[in-house]
Amino acid sequence: MAEGGDVDWELSKENIQPLRRGRAISALHQALSQQQEGDSSAINQQRQAFESELRMYDGDDPLNVWDRYIRWTEQTFPQGGKESNLATILERAVTRFTEENTYFDDPRYVELWIKFAGNCPEPLDIYRYIQAQGIGLKQASLYIAWSEQYENNGNYRKADLVYQEGFKKGAEPHDKLQQFHKALQARVSRQVMMNVEEDDSDEEHKQPERVSLAELKSRGKKKAIAPINRVGSAIRSVHSGMQSHAAPALGNASNSKLVVFDENKSHAGPSEPKLEAWKAPPTSKAKENKQKPGVWCDVKIPLKTKFGHTLMAPPPPKPAFQPFVEESDQPPTMTPCKINPAVNTVLSARKPCREETPLKRLQDHHQQHNEAVSGKPQEQSMYCKELLLSGATEFCFEELRAERYFKKMRQEVGGQKDEASASASN
Amino acid sequence: MTSTLNGITLKGSAELVANFFSFGINSILYQRGIYPPETFSRITHYDMNLQLTTDPKLKNYLTKVVSQLKEWLFECTVQKFVLVITCLETNEVLERWQFDIDCDKSAKESSAPREKSIKIIQDEIRSVMRQITATVTFLPLLETPCAFDLLVYTDKDLLVPDKWEASGPQIIDQSEEVRLRSFATSIHKVNSMVAYKRTDSV
Repeated sequence: MAEGGDVDWELSKENIQPLRRGRAISALHQALSQQQEGDSSAINQQRQAFESELRMYDGDDPLNVWDRYIRWTEQTFPQGGKESNLATILERAVTRFTEENTYFDDPRYVELWIKFAGNCPEPLDIYRYIQAQGIGLKQASLYIAWSEQYENNGNYRKADLVYQEGFKKGAEPHDKLQQFHKALQARVSRQVMMNVEEDDSDEEHKQPERVSLAELKSRGKKKAIAPINRVGSAIRSVHSGMQSHAAPALGNASNSKLVVFDENKSHAGPSEPKLEAWKAPPTSKAKENKQKPGVWCDVKIPLKTKFGHTLMAPPPPKPAFQPFVEESDQPPTMTPCKINPAVNTVLSARKPCREETPLKRLQDHHQQHNEAVSGKPQEQSMYCKELLLSGATEFCFEELRAERYFKKMRQEVGGQKDEASASASN
Repeated sequence: MTSTLNGITLKGSAELVANFFSFGINSILYQRGIYPPETFSRITHYDMNLQLTTDPKLKNYLTKVVSQLKEWLFECTVQKFVLVITCLETNEVLERWQFDIDCDKSAKESSAPREKSIKIIQDEIRSVMRQITATVTFLPLLETPCAFDLLVYTDKDLLVPDKWEASGPQIIDQSEEVRLRSFATSIHKVNSMVAYKRTDSV
């Protein structure tokens, strides 16, 4: 049965997060097999390589490294989760470039923001934020993602407005935006149609409901018994009820007749309300659920002894064991507790993490930057702090130094080779 | 189903395979959102819940194709059956579901039924269907409105019936290919595979 190639992905399909762009099957197989073997050294190596590249990169497109790093992370950790560090990397990446205007309309950067928003609890806030920052205003993908978010929340009007905003800003590619806008409109109109249709069919297939104050047809030949099923055919139709009072069945007397005044038919002559005669006087105590007399054949009558009184059930025998009795009768006023309840935080309520949303951190970062620009630096670190902390993991000085050393070594070796080849050609 | 519990005849096999394609196509069209989900209704077949289209035009089309396919399966002249998903605007091929069919040409209508219980075959078909559903874990999202096309590869000297036309293979360039499970009725063997546009990753 396993001839369908590797079935790894099928066995862990619940643990694979679908990606918008799909997954490379080879990367998926690799990730899954490494997971099974618990072998994470290769992954760690690769991650380390990306991390050091982030710090050592001195080209003119630092976003490229981040972009590759993030895409590698997505493919390598199919189930997402904490160990992938994706949320951290995304956050670092988007904060890293908030001041670089050249990237603001870079589709890659906007893509990162969209991914970041997808990882946040309140994506709409993020979209509003970056709009205010002026990021991706000319990117169709931003408006598409934003509108989809509104659509998912069921706010179709806002979803449409986002597209209008995109058109106003002249977002590119225009065709794509238009196409998605049309698709949205089609979906919305289809939904409206569906709702209308559903309403129609609801009326057609309405479950029969009990009607209040409806007159019931009586069942039974001798006694009038109200039917159990009080819908549909059991109800006398209202119109027939109007005329039926002319010849009321005697057996039906127990059902109170209720004539609803119909102003359209008032010319037909006033119908007098007819008082029903009580069949029997009401009992003094209208008690329901009284025990009815029934057959006694199954009931056991207590045996009589020869002395004439009923035999009582023997008292329960004394238990053979001594029941345990608490020494102190009074229960302790408080259950014993070793830990001071004021200190115990094991079962504390979940912290309201509203303050620590990624958006809040972003705004803080932005504010700090503005303050720094405005000329009141609060603290200045005298070491390359941003190099140590810039990636998703922390580096130490030695790692940085080693990285530089290896780079230098590689260059020297390369240089020697060049010289050697040059001399050989000579 | 014409095949009995004891064995598989050529006719029964063709019917089984054609049925599989009918449900398989419906399933793919539903899973990949080629047609809106409201136009599908749920039925139970192979002991699993499947979606069948209620769109009369599509239904009609599929019935025609599948009945033609059944004939070819019966004659053992079909080699491949391909469902191609293309972008409606650019006509670019985005996904290609390919079912290779191995026919045992020695099987004749009169020949004795083969030994394979229908239960095992249905089990195999079920696992293929499950895998089709599971492919959403790695397939890219189809973002644009898409159309689909059905291709049948037959033996060369076959008369093309009316309303069928010859076409190219519609291969995706730079594609990622994933083999899916296969099933066999002992007369027809169906290998399935899906190809999709490669992601522009690392």
